[in-house]
Amino acid sequence: MKLIKKIKSMEPYDLITNIIVFLLALLSLFPIIWLITNSFKTSADIYKMPPDILPKSLYLGNFKELFNNQPALRWGFNSFFVSFITTALSVVLSSAAAYAFAKLNFKGKKVLFALFIASLMVPKETFIVPLFKIVVAFDWVDTYQSLIIPNLAMCFGVFMLKSFFESIPDSLRESAKLDGASEWTIFWKLMLPIAKPGIGALFILNFVTFWNDYLWQLLMARSKDMNTLTVGVAGLMQEINPNIGLRVAGAAVAALPMVVIFIVFQKYFTKGIAAGAVKE
Amino acid sequence: MKKWFSSAVVAGMALLVFAGCGGGDEKTNEAGGGAVDVEVWLTPQWKGVMDAAEDGADYDSFFKEAAKRYKEENPDVNINVQVIPGEQRSDKLSVAIQTKTLPDIFFDSSFALSEYAHMGVLTPLDDIIDDETKSDIPASIWENVQINDQTYFYPFGHNPGTLAYNADMFKAAGLEEYIAGEHEIATWNVADFEKILTALKEHNDKVSPFGLYAKNNQGDTWNLTYMRMFGNKFFDEEGNIIVNEDNGVQALSYINDLRKKGLTTSGPESLTSNDVNAMFQNQQTAVNFTNAVLFSGIQKDMEDGKVNKFDMRLANIPSETDPLSFTYVTSSVVFNTGDDAKMQAAKDFVKFYSTDPELVKASKNTLPVRESVSKELAGELPYLEAYNKNAPYIINFSNNTPGYAELRNAFFPELQAVFTDAKTPKEGLDNFTEQGNRIIENNKKKSVIESGK
Repeated sequence: MKLIKKIKSMEPYDLITNIIVFLLALLSLFPIIWLITNSFKTSADIYKMPPDILPKSLYLGNFKELFNNQPALRWGFNSFFVSFITTALSVVLSSAAAYAFAKLNFKGKKVLFALFIASLMVPKETFIVPLFKIVVAFDWVDTYQSLIIPNLAMCFGVFMLKSFFESIPDSLRESAKLDGASEWTIFWKLMLPIAKPGIGALFILNFVTFWNDYLWQLLMARSKDMNTLTVGVAGLMQEINPNIGLRVAGAAVAALPMVVIFIVFQKYFTKGIAAGAVKE
Repeated sequence: MKKWFSSAVVAGMALLVFAGCGGGDEKTNEAGGGAVDVEVWLTPQWKGVMDAAEDGADYDSFFKEAAKRYKEENPDVNINVQVIPGEQRSDKLSVAIQTKTLPDIFFDSSFALSEYAHMGVLTPLDDIIDDETKSDIPASIWENVQINDQTYFYPFGHNPGTLAYNADMFKAAGLEEYIAGEHEIATWNVADFEKILTALKEHNDKVSPFGLYAKNNQGDTWNLTYMRMFGNKFFDEEGNIIVNEDNGVQALSYINDLRKKGLTTSGPESLTSNDVNAMFQNQQTAVNFTNAVLFSGIQKDMEDGKVNKFDMRLANIPSETDPLSFTYVTSSVVFNTGDDAKMQAAKDFVKFYSTDPELVKASKNTLPVRESVSKELAGELPYLEAYNKNAPYIINFSNNTPGYAELRNAFFPELQAVFTDAKTPKEGLDNFTEQGNRIIENNKKKSVIESGK
């Protein structure tokens, strides 16, 4: 009733805009719906033309194949563990570095920041071989360290969070200093909570990046138990006869944690994307 | 959020330290115990040791069982098996070559690994091939696994490529005379083929008679083979491409005319082999590419109710001359890692599972390359006799040419140009021949085998 009243009270322009936004929102949900419904279809049905939007019968074979005989739960755990820990650690490191660049004065600050920014332009593929060699030298291949530690240096996070810290008035930091707070206390107890929206946004962006870091995971995981979900599922496909149903089921399972992470952090994400853009 | 966040980070760090020593298989200390570690990589080929119906059947089951049996006789050799996604084979191997972390053995189709022989990272296997093996495997298979008379790929099984057709649709269109027996491979000439496709189209214009595709290099062995329909040899004696000769142009013109007449899937330039394969299973095409593994996979899916049942049969690729036949030889390679002990152990293991009377029977999951195994398993493999009849006509489709992977990437854009009428078949093939011969020339210079470095 409330909704109807609200609609009735709308200006025609607002009503049309709302309808368009609603339709666009539905449209953006379509890939997720398509992914989920296709995971309950056979490979042949997925390719059917014209396609069935909803499966005619609930086919569970893709999930059975994924979870029977395969350590798919372990792969799911690996994906989540690696992505979550890498994200959490990289956010901490990025925020500390970003705070230093935004609020502290030290020699070579501008040059160092320029180097950080320049490194954003270097694609990972170009340094994957030396990185791999380092990991081999440490004897870390096929361990969690190899999947986590090389990804911690994320300059994008520093770049993104620097603008958040810059938008916080210097007067806050100065008054805290006058009250006797240490630099660490100011950063941890004062600045970080204010930069929450930015951190939330970075968390989501990094989580998705690490979750999808397929090539590195493929190179690092040697044993079946160390595979992540995306690599594990890819290893179940015959090149000559790829089982698209299995791939879709794997993708649907892999998408779940990302959806959960987004729901948990979405309020920070939407705030964060906009907030950092404005400087006081 | 602060408490939650810091707790998560601390917990993560603790777990990371805790997990640090964990993960992965236990590593053996080679130096300490004198043991040798042999690393085997394979792309998914078949599940189970012998059969996908076994308990716990997986793509590494065969090699794990072979390793177990081998270790009984060779306790100092530890064999680790890793299945890697076929699509990322070159990424994984490229990094492994650059970082000197190559596996010792790779099990895959020989054509997919031939570039590594030219790069000089594979070791010849002639010293582990005995006379009995030589005589047990047909010459057409050996031709696929040898480069300049040296064997780089130890053949295990093979997977012939043919066409599949929907015999129900043929019957409905009055094409009974072109249907071969249930376990036979039909042979049609090019005139028959056009007649068949036309009749299918006239009977039911909702079905695309022939599944044609050219979106990428997936399944391009069939497209490359179509160029031989009028007798073109594709490569000359020196290994140069000659597909732009009249009979090659005639073949592409023929295929292109089928497209223009609406006898193929529409828009082949934007279709992948997976697309048309799915269309065939959904009975939206009547004739399609297939190979032994794909064919039996569809049959199994029909039995399991994943695909609606229809009468599916095999046909050779139509030709004006002999039946056109090619095969993917599933084989093992041994990498030249520079560690003699490991290379020797790897070779010995390859020989073990490729000659063990019980283990070689697993080649039935594709088709056995050994005549002795074929004879023994003839009763279990109803199509074996038909495939064997084609054996004398098997071509070495890649010619084991250096740069074959690059050649593949140069071919499909020309097909796309022809199928979108941007180029004539002659222009497309001229362009491909020019590019292709340049690729071969460049790769010959780089090839350790060709340059005799």
